[in-house]
Amino acid sequence: MTLEFDIHGRVGDFRLRASGVLPGRGVTVLFGPSGTGKSSLLQMLAGLLPCEGHVRFDGHSWQSRHAALPVWQRPLGMLQQQPALFSHLTVAGNLEYVRKRRGGRVDVPAIVREVRIEGLLHRRVQGLSGGEAQRVALARALVGDPALLLLDEPLSAVDLPHRESLLQRIATIARRIPVLYVTHSLDELLYLADQVWLMDNGLLQDQGPVHQALASLDGPLATRSDACALLNGVMGGFDEEDHLQAVKTGQHVFWLPAAQSRETGEPVRLRIAARDVSLTRSVPEGSSILNILPVTVVAVTPCGPGQHVVRLQLDEHIVLARISSRSLRELAIQPGQRLYAQIKAVALA
Amino acid sequence: MLNNGDWLALWVGIKLALVTTAILLLLCTPLAWWLARRRVPGAALLEAIFALPLVLPPSVLGFYLLIALGPQGPGGWLAQLAGMRSLAFSFPGLVIGSVVYSLPFVLQPLKNAFVALDQRQLDMAAVAGARPLDRFVSLVLPQARPGYASAAMLGFAHTLGEFGVVLMIGGSLAGQTRVASVALYEHVEAGDYASAHRLAAVLMVISVVLLWALFRWQRRAGAQARGRGDWL
Repeated sequence: MTLEFDIHGRVGDFRLRASGVLPGRGVTVLFGPSGTGKSSLLQMLAGLLPCEGHVRFDGHSWQSRHAALPVWQRPLGMLQQQPALFSHLTVAGNLEYVRKRRGGRVDVPAIVREVRIEGLLHRRVQGLSGGEAQRVALARALVGDPALLLLDEPLSAVDLPHRESLLQRIATIARRIPVLYVTHSLDELLYLADQVWLMDNGLLQDQGPVHQALASLDGPLATRSDACALLNGVMGGFDEEDHLQAVKTGQHVFWLPAAQSRETGEPVRLRIAARDVSLTRSVPEGSSILNILPVTVVAVTPCGPGQHVVRLQLDEHIVLARISSRSLRELAIQPGQRLYAQIKAVALA
Repeated sequence: MLNNGDWLALWVGIKLALVTTAILLLLCTPLAWWLARRRVPGAALLEAIFALPLVLPPSVLGFYLLIALGPQGPGGWLAQLAGMRSLAFSFPGLVIGSVVYSLPFVLQPLKNAFVALDQRQLDMAAVAGARPLDRFVSLVLPQARPGYASAAMLGFAHTLGEFGVVLMIGGSLAGQTRVASVALYEHVEAGDYASAHRLAAVLMVISVVLLWALFRWQRRAGAQARGRGDWL
């Protein structure tokens, strides 16, 4: 169930051009600064905005040179920045609206439970908070039994405390329905992305797996001041005395502060910010830093005045370090060199 | 209270207002949608033409309608198809005149209601599988209900209160084209002030009740709308 497209079109006064293949599973994050045409691309793929070129989904043509399948015949679900619930209906009415038209075989009560809106069903949509409304909108999208979900900055109308739970739901849903997720937030990218598409100035540029996109020194992500590396790991033991949680990635164990223990063996993502990594030639003695690991330098590139970012190999993982250009010179850092990375902070993505 | 002729005139007026309002609601729905939701070249000029009845003296409008509906005009040609000599001085002619005269009072509220619709909700309805006509019935109509209520009420009340146009093209035939306002005028002409008072009072009461019902309803709808969150 892949979405394949090669389209172009006018949006306001700039041109949008994009081609790519959306993988049939997982979350693909469409990332880029505001106003670069991400939402427009999503609307073009949905058929809500006219464009030229072709779009094919799962072997069916959604748009070709001769014809375009109307929006209401494309098997997709959509969530926009604003929930845009049908304001003359109740929450249940909003779900029913879609079920009557689309959802022949869906189990609506199961969706209601999954998105946790059992208590809201009989409410009028006007009284809902931003987070509640967006959950209802997510349920409404799922009731349509979509083969593809297009999510356009769905967290922007949701207050901070409720963002993480909504992200969790989206991550769970993405295991069964492919998701194209638009955002300009690096946090959301780190949490969700399996694939990353980078967009700038109306042009869809690089596409690749998230670990690669984050660590590519030619790309825009590795040279940001908040650049991060992402490591897949599994939860290890919990040290109750020191409140430290072990996370195993390959043969290494990272210790991170945690209030309470999590289920052992649960797969997690670790994020390591490039500015939290410093480099030494030997294992320092008497350091307060818990995570010190041997690494090999792969590449170096400047990033801003007086700063360099170093790409490091840690077994099968990539880690980034952001260091001053002076340190780079004094340590004579070059590709192939073996060093130790002192990692000041590790967090769950 | 009223004599039979006055009751008849009142009934003709109400019938005219009902028929006119029904026709206008049907006619103005696509027209208002088109003006509100599409980029139309020359839309401002079109709207100016549709709004003319607001500013033209009714007698001017009536005069042109008289020419158009008379035996020499396009209305006369139409009338001959139906076996009549002319549309002027007939109930169908009055309906045509009233439709023109009351059009802006129905068009404007509908257009405003359509402009105020949330495009995102319409998009989400399309994504939910609703075809255009389905979207109109299931989303636009319920959400534009206050606009339709205003349009119907204003169209009805304005047609009921019509005088100049009716006088020009109606000719005051009892049971056909004599409406209450014209009957009132004739009472005054004849010096029958007692009948005039009674008829005027009835028209006054009808107008107040209609407007009161409309404003009461709008206040309630407004109070509901104010309860909505900004994000909707």
